[in-house]
Amino acid sequence: METIQLKHRLKQQIIEFLNLTDTTPESIEDDKPLFGDGGLGLDSIDSLELIVLLNREYGIVIKDLKEGRKVLVDVNTMVEYIEKHRTK
Amino acid sequence: MLYIHQTSCISPQENLYTPNGPAGNHLKAVEPRYEGIPGNVLRRMSKSVRMGVGAALPLLKHSPDGILIGTGYGGMEDSIRFLNQIVAFDEGVLTPGTFVQSTANAIASQLGLLQHNRGYNITFVSRGLSFESALLDAWMLTAEHPGKNWLVGGVDEISDHNYRFECAEGWYGEGVPAGEGAAVFLLNDRPEGAIAGIRQIILRSGEDTEDIRSAFTGILDGEMPDLLLSGETGDSRALKWYRLAETLVGPQAGIMRFKHLCGESPSASAFALWLACNLPASLPAHLVKRSPGSASRLILIYNNYKLTQHSLILLERFL
Amino acid sequence: MKRGGREGTAAGRVFVTGIGIISAVGSTLTGNRSALRSGRSGIGFKANLESRYAGVLPFGAIGLTTGELRNKFNIDDPGVTRTTLLALHAFSDAISDAGLDETALHGPRVALVGATTVGGMCLTDELYRDTTRACDGSPFLSSYDAASVHLFLQSRYKMNGLATTINTACSSSANAIQFGARLIRCGLATTVIAGGADSLAKFTVNGFQALQILSPAACRPFDRDRSGLNLGEGAAFLVLEGEETAGRGKVYAELTGYCNTNDAFHPSALSLQGDGPFLAMHGALRSAGLSPADVGYINTHGTATENNDEAEGRAMLRLFETLPPFASTKPYTGHTLGAAGAIEAVFSILSIRHQELYPGLNFDNPIPELGLEPVLAYRQHPVRHVMSNSFGFGGNCTSLIFSNLN
Repeated sequence: METIQLKHRLKQQIIEFLNLTDTTPESIEDDKPLFGDGGLGLDSIDSLELIVLLNREYGIVIKDLKEGRKVLVDVNTMVEYIEKHRTK
Repeated sequence: MLYIHQTSCISPQENLYTPNGPAGNHLKAVEPRYEGIPGNVLRRMSKSVRMGVGAALPLLKHSPDGILIGTGYGGMEDSIRFLNQIVAFDEGVLTPGTFVQSTANAIASQLGLLQHNRGYNITFVSRGLSFESALLDAWMLTAEHPGKNWLVGGVDEISDHNYRFECAEGWYGEGVPAGEGAAVFLLNDRPEGAIAGIRQIILRSGEDTEDIRSAFTGILDGEMPDLLLSGETGDSRALKWYRLAETLVGPQAGIMRFKHLCGESPSASAFALWLACNLPASLPAHLVKRSPGSASRLILIYNNYKLTQHSLILLERFL
Repeated sequence: MKRGGREGTAAGRVFVTGIGIISAVGSTLTGNRSALRSGRSGIGFKANLESRYAGVLPFGAIGLTTGELRNKFNIDDPGVTRTTLLALHAFSDAISDAGLDETALHGPRVALVGATTVGGMCLTDELYRDTTRACDGSPFLSSYDAASVHLFLQSRYKMNGLATTINTACSSSANAIQFGARLIRCGLATTVIAGGADSLAKFTVNGFQALQILSPAACRPFDRDRSGLNLGEGAAFLVLEGEETAGRGKVYAELTGYCNTNDAFHPSALSLQGDGPFLAMHGALRSAGLSPADVGYINTHGTATENNDEAEGRAMLRLFETLPPFASTKPYTGHTLGAAGAIEAVFSILSIRHQELYPGLNFDNPIPELGLEPVLAYRQHPVRHVMSNSFGFGGNCTSLIFSNLN
């Protein structure tokens, strides 16, 4: 799958998985921070949920939150990691 | 006396004059748009948390000193959602949000979180006496901390699974619809400006007629109420308790029933208290079993839950 | 005992006149004390738990099987869950310890305040079966909820007074104790049996694992290298009585202070400065008319999660100019969730009763930012007032203070 398509698909999956009913894929810029104010405003429970998403959709195992923090910065970093480590 | 200053309710009803009836034996709550709950927070909430928070929000702006919630089912629906994940993924990698939302105190804690409320925070899970336990705790708090305000609510949602369980055990059926909703109250020890005052609350368990009879005579203490607000439904097994109540309030008291509006649920009595505080001047006929002779100033609410849990609330209306 | 003004209390003193406890370190009060004195942990890899995590993660499991618990009490009904059986074990010991015969429990002014987070959800597989097929004839339908535990006790002992259950996650039974005490002080009961129970359940194990706060090794509270908590199971009940009736028999200690607050920071984590814990501890001291310097020992919540120990540690440093001896007893029992407040209240009372401090376990290095070191060896030590902390999901924070009678 091309990177652009993957980015769009990931955004849809994030919206669905985290039930972000007010958000569209178009409103999530590739470099918009996932966490904290000014970004998508996700929190620590969401980071655990995103680790589950990566596991279920892409077969990626992230051992713990410290590792997760480096991956879960924005859509760009997530897609980069998926492309390198996906098993699905 | 525990004075009620504000009330708020999310229920299956939009107004008291054209009541919604059950569909598929469910009386589902009419949910508002929840404009006061940030989307980021709303997205996670189970229905009972949404309803509890949504009903309580207008009252939270009074910055209560404590938040007390009674819920019979707690987060049962989310519990089962999480349970399904456990099985589907064979105890593999699971989403924690559902687990956190499934905890019974999710409603009270979310209320505290939304308003950064650091006061007393408690959740009672005692089936049909959950809301009453919270009221009793508020009663004690007003004695212990004069001048402070307490937010007390009763919240329950119909969970498909609970409905099936309750049907299998014979609790829901013809004439006994399942209900859901949230009724929340702002309470304190100040009569000025109060809508109503709770004179007494009695919680009883068991099926000893003399014990329940003495609860009624004790709470009434020689003064007959203007109105009995009764939790009678089509469940014939509970009729003896409602007949006892009707006898003991005396022939002059009016009798009204409320469960055709809110359905049967562990926190139906919270809806009853809300209704008692918000009775319209002209009573819709569907509420009335026996017309009250005069304005209903003194109201006895009696609810029976699954035959063995009895709650009596004596309310004096001021407005 | 010096007592200043007590803000926010109704009248009357509340005493502990009976105790019942069952945990991973013992099924009697004496057995539990013996383990604490000798630093013997109950954490291990065996558990009466049907889960892929049994034998993989460490738990504070009780050795008795559910069948053995049933036999002990002659209970055939499969709807009486492990959680309820543990509650029954502790409850029956507590009332016997207090010299209350069963007729004494029938009175309208004897109340039961229970607490549990698991309730009947320990029947995880049965619940799944019941939700996925027609459930006519299932013996478990009225056993799953939290109330099923106290309702069983109320029915078995024919109790006619107030009975209720509190669920505020990990602070549940601490809240049951403060609620019970207040029932007495407000004149709504003369005797209250207050406490809680929780059993190991596939449901909760998976929930905590999803939150990534379970440690793969024995937990290390307040240690720099702590890596999460161990779940445990157990039950404890205190018999609380007011001044008029407490003189009958033994009196262990007085419950002199309590406070419940809300951290209001996050659904499953405490604020880094430990605001909720600070307010709860501070409020408990104020309600007891005590100052921080009066506290002889703190039984901390100390779950060994990164978040709790840092937040609780910071809160303690904020409140206490000189921090008293403290430890977490969770390396002995595991985190017993809804039972934790009551179990740890019992341990706090033992400390007062016997004037001794129990060692914290699995501690090598303090958290660098805090520099806090728990009690590391058993010692006899004068203890007048003990503070016991319990902090739960949703930021629910409760602190109790027990005091010596002399």
